Amino acid sequence: MNRDIVGLPAGYRDLLFRDAEVRRGIENEFASVFASAGFREIIPSAVEYLDLYTRGNQGIRERAMRFLDREDNLLALRADFTPAVARIVTAHLRDMPSPVRVWYSGPVFRKTDRHRGQYQEFSQIGAELIGGNPAGADCEILDVALNCLSKSGFPDASVHVNHAGIFRGIVNGLGLGASELAEVRSAIDRKDMRALGSRLEELGVKGSVRGQVGTLSRCVGDSRALAAAASSIENEESREAIASLESLASHLPQWRERITFDLTEIDEMEYYTGVMFTFLSPAHSVELGRGGRYDSLMREFGTDLPAVGFSFSMDSLGECA
Amino acid sequence: MKNCVRIALPKGRLYDSGTALLARAGIEIAPADGSRKLVFPDRDGRFEFIPLKPVDIPVYVESGTIDAGIVGSDILREVEADVYEPVDLGIGKCRLVLAAASGLALPAAGSLRVATKYPRTTERFFRGKQLHVHIVKLDGSVEIAPLLGLADAIVDLVETGRTLRENGMRVIEDVASVSAKLIVNRTAMKTKSVDVRHLITQLDTVVYENPGQQD
Repeated sequence: MNRDIVGLPAGYRDLLFRDAEVRRGIENEFASVFASAGFREIIPSAVEYLDLYTRGNQGIRERAMRFLDREDNLLALRADFTPAVARIVTAHLRDMPSPVRVWYSGPVFRKTDRHRGQYQEFSQIGAELIGGNPAGADCEILDVALNCLSKSGFPDASVHVNHAGIFRGIVNGLGLGASELAEVRSAIDRKDMRALGSRLEELGVKGSVRGQVGTLSRCVGDSRALAAAASSIENEESREAIASLESLASHLPQWRERITFDLTEIDEMEYYTGVMFTFLSPAHSVELGRGGRYDSLMREFGTDLPAVGFSFSMDSLGECA
Repeated sequence: MKNCVRIALPKGRLYDSGTALLARAGIEIAPADGSRKLVFPDRDGRFEFIPLKPVDIPVYVESGTIDAGIVGSDILREVEADVYEPVDLGIGKCRLVLAAASGLALPAAGSLRVATKYPRTTERFFRGKQLHVHIVKLDGSVEIAPLLGLADAIVDLVETGRTLRENGMRVIEDVASVSAKLIVNRTAMKTKSVDVRHLITQLDTVVYENPGQQD
């Protein structure tokens, strides 16, 4: 094979000088926020067993870059940080203070569709808080994330906040089968509310519950919007979830202007179990990162600890800087 | 920066009905000033329109380069773009069908050659039936492929079925029913929520609650 050695494979790029300096600057600001909040850096291995990605998030496994080692074990380039953090914390929990506060920064690799102009190497920076009191941890992690954005040149960045328990509480009582539930989730994920309404009606879901799903699909705004949604919802799990969002925001008055309650988005992969964050740059109309509570992931690694974290796309941060 | 909501309009069969629907929703393209611009504002300066080839629209909207667009569900399913599709606009209705020469029985086993402009949709359709097929991707005049011997069957759009009959073919099975959708970028729904929601509500209203003057 005679390939041009000065070229690069499709889906990859070099970042030179100015682009590299911008990212270095952002990473340094994040690092100092993390250090003062008591988070310590870890550098997970760049190579994992492919099976690491079987737990929790199926979508990532399909997109991992895989290869074989000398013993023909299936390996993958790092496709996500969070499972690696879960693996590390599970292995070294006894040597770590509780709760565990870690941060990471580096590349992840995922297959993308050909010819869509997407890269296959992404750069992420994020943090995880494992253990401790969940309500306090949610507050702490959101505060750290917003501090990172504020200190690194994104003072107008906003966060849309939701809670997986709100939707879960509404659909749990419906007695839908797995495939019907997947259909309902997919219609909500596409925001096709007419199709969703008629499907729910076909499935025999009563009008008041269809009304609640409709309420969620419109609920975006401040605490008044959240209170309005709460008033129409009857089940205990959803109400508790809404109350925990109210409490989260009330403990972060310094970020009131930055927080929007947005109950419209659901987590189609069912990865998050509690609070969910989407970080945005309104000025650039770009999503900067995501995060949330994922208590069931640690359990899959054999450590039954609550966990919450966030991850920013360094590529998006670099573009908007 | 990009504070105005940009809407992609499909060139071709959906253009006139799509712009008419937007006009009834109170969103009108400002009259052309004779220049050869590629981007047109609306009368209120709240939206911008960009006419594009339909197959390109999901890619633009998924990437966020354009905030919203009108596109046929045939193309949307084929491109598999990760976008919101909040309103089925009910225009451009037709069917995507599997068709073959009259008299040809499809083999229950063994392999079939199928010509289509929709390779991914076709692959999904046959995978669902657990049938193995060879797909030939074409860009136009798909109905002629069986006549010329390139394929045994086709997967293509039909409106009336006349073209099929004229080429000696018949519909074997529906693959999907097709209509035009409003699609919206996931981030724009949050960052430009006031104008994007206005667009969705207005279109939903003219399509479902006030469908009177449909042309």
